Amino acid sequence: MRLLAFRLTSASHQYRLLTGEGFHIKSAAVKNDGVTLSNGLAELSRRQLSSGGWAALRSSAQASLETTCLGALATGSEDSDAERRAQDFLLRVQNPNGSWPAFFGDDQDGVWVTSLAVIALRDIVSAIPARLRGIGWLLECVGRESTWLWKWKFRTVDRRVHFDPDKFGWPWIPDTVSWVVPTAFAILALSQLPCSCGRLEDIPNRVDRGIEMLIDRACPGGGWNAGNGVVYGSALAPHPDDTAIALLALSNRTQHPVVRTSVEWLEHTAPTLTAPWSLAWAILALAAHGRAVESLMASLLALPDLSSNGDTSSLALACLATDYRRALAALGLTL
Amino acid sequence: MIPNRRDFLVGSAALAAGASVSVPFFRPKYHSVRRAKRSRVAILHVEEYSQRIDQVLASGLRLFPIDVQDKTVVLKPNLVDYIPGNAINTHPILVLAAAESFRRMGAKCVIVAEGPGHQRDTELVLSQSGYRESLRAEDIRFVDLNRDELIRTQLCASFMGMKSLWLPRTVLEADFLVSMPKIKAHHWAGVTLSMKNMLGVVPGSRYGWPKNILHWKGIQESILDVCASIPVHFVIADGIMAMEGNGPLNGTARPLGKIVLADDSVAADATCARLMGFEPDRVVHIREGSKFLGNLSPALLDQVGEIPSAPTTPFQVVPEFQHLYAL
Repeated sequence: MRLLAFRLTSASHQYRLLTGEGFHIKSAAVKNDGVTLSNGLAELSRRQLSSGGWAALRSSAQASLETTCLGALATGSEDSDAERRAQDFLLRVQNPNGSWPAFFGDDQDGVWVTSLAVIALRDIVSAIPARLRGIGWLLECVGRESTWLWKWKFRTVDRRVHFDPDKFGWPWIPDTVSWVVPTAFAILALSQLPCSCGRLEDIPNRVDRGIEMLIDRACPGGGWNAGNGVVYGSALAPHPDDTAIALLALSNRTQHPVVRTSVEWLEHTAPTLTAPWSLAWAILALAAHGRAVESLMASLLALPDLSSNGDTSSLALACLATDYRRALAALGLTL
Repeated sequence: MIPNRRDFLVGSAALAAGASVSVPFFRPKYHSVRRAKRSRVAILHVEEYSQRIDQVLASGLRLFPIDVQDKTVVLKPNLVDYIPGNAINTHPILVLAAAESFRRMGAKCVIVAEGPGHQRDTELVLSQSGYRESLRAEDIRFVDLNRDELIRTQLCASFMGMKSLWLPRTVLEADFLVSMPKIKAHHWAGVTLSMKNMLGVVPGSRYGWPKNILHWKGIQESILDVCASIPVHFVIADGIMAMEGNGPLNGTARPLGKIVLADDSVAADATCARLMGFEPDRVVHIREGSKFLGNLSPALLDQVGEIPSAPTTPFQVVPEFQHLYAL
């Protein structure tokens, strides 16, 4: 019996599966994630632009590099043409200096998208030179607080945000300070390399500094937001997606107290989430830290209009979370 | 002593060199003056968020000669993050009331658009802050400006030293753009009102979360450049429950009981600042904006509705902005 599609009845949190023979309607437990995955992937394929990239919003035709990288990782679960077209697109739009732009047509370097592109091109032999150029560029890129002048400023005259400028990572775009998400993505990208020889010998040092920075920027009660834990003496609240992304980068530091507290915070918060982006990141992070995610998966699949979500990044991420073992492997993480 | 020809030439060359270095510092940093001769401001008294806001706002808007017939109206609320109990965001009831009013006034389409500066998950903020259900129920389209299609836009001022910014198509193509700020004290900018609210249009998908480049280029300067480049046609400021202290996120809720309407964002912000107990010309972006964007002086404002008066106790601000207080 071939499954064609599913619809969700949000009241009962069950699926109605339409089957190919006679369109019988069946109730099914939420566990049938294969159906959801195939629907999500089919929708992703429909939204792929002719260039091979994906736009951030369904209503747009401007290829976003973050969405394209997530789309390439998500469609990699099937031996589909979509991933290859996306990877070709990524190779075509790489900047001459090795970085990637935030979107097709942009003229600047996007740090977080460079890390994501390095990850999305992981399995292609022909992409090795491009990846190495991207990694080389990432190693050159530092948060602005890493220079002596700004360190001095943040230690003396500008102490409104509490952080240690000795612990730096990566900014969103060059010439700004380090933030949590680009640092976490860079750690994930650099940690995928099998060796750190030659011009890559600085990788362990940069990764360690990045990890120290993440630990330093955590919110006092656990978790992360964009990267300001305390401002003017007030503790700021963590965000689920930032927390999850940081935890993915810290998945081999499970015993660190900050990591433990943050995993607990995320585990406590995730069941309340109603948006696919945050919920999907939470599933990936908690799975990476060995926590049970079945009930969260059920919540994700029960979200209304998942396949019709206009935000294509959220759709791609939901597909990745649905197939979290493979997604974590693509990020270089093992369960 | 009579200068000889050589002294004269050397002196002239020195003068020319000095002028060429110093003139750029005195040249205006805006490319054109958009300030109207007079501006109109209305202060509406509203004690709480209720369905009554619909009528109050509709009657307030009738005080202005607004023509949105067959136009695309974009409402830009201040939607930053959600922290239970904190008065961070423009209340959805006010946004819905504005949408309904503009629809009744004949707008072709009303869109709500915002690009939160701190939270990447816009949908989560929408859902937690009550926007998602309200917008869906009223069939109002929301555009995430952090992820909208981007167009490189030449800036019409050069306070921050950038020639262009990538800005969202939805905002650039709006026929009638309404800034709908939450009246708040702000720990980096002093206040966050209709002008500061416009930084929300700068897309995170290009500049990151937060839009850190704007901090490095100077917040006051960024506000001026963005406001010079994207004309705000109208302001509806939510001061029913405002915020003082360590805003925009962690300040203290401050009941003010006002909605401020204006056809000029400088005039709106000057009025809001007065309601907060501040001297508006001590807020850098309001003072500089009054040179080319709008009117600050009460003599140039047609005040309808209530007359602005300073509160008995001014809004609290972080130590760096104590100089904002009116004497």
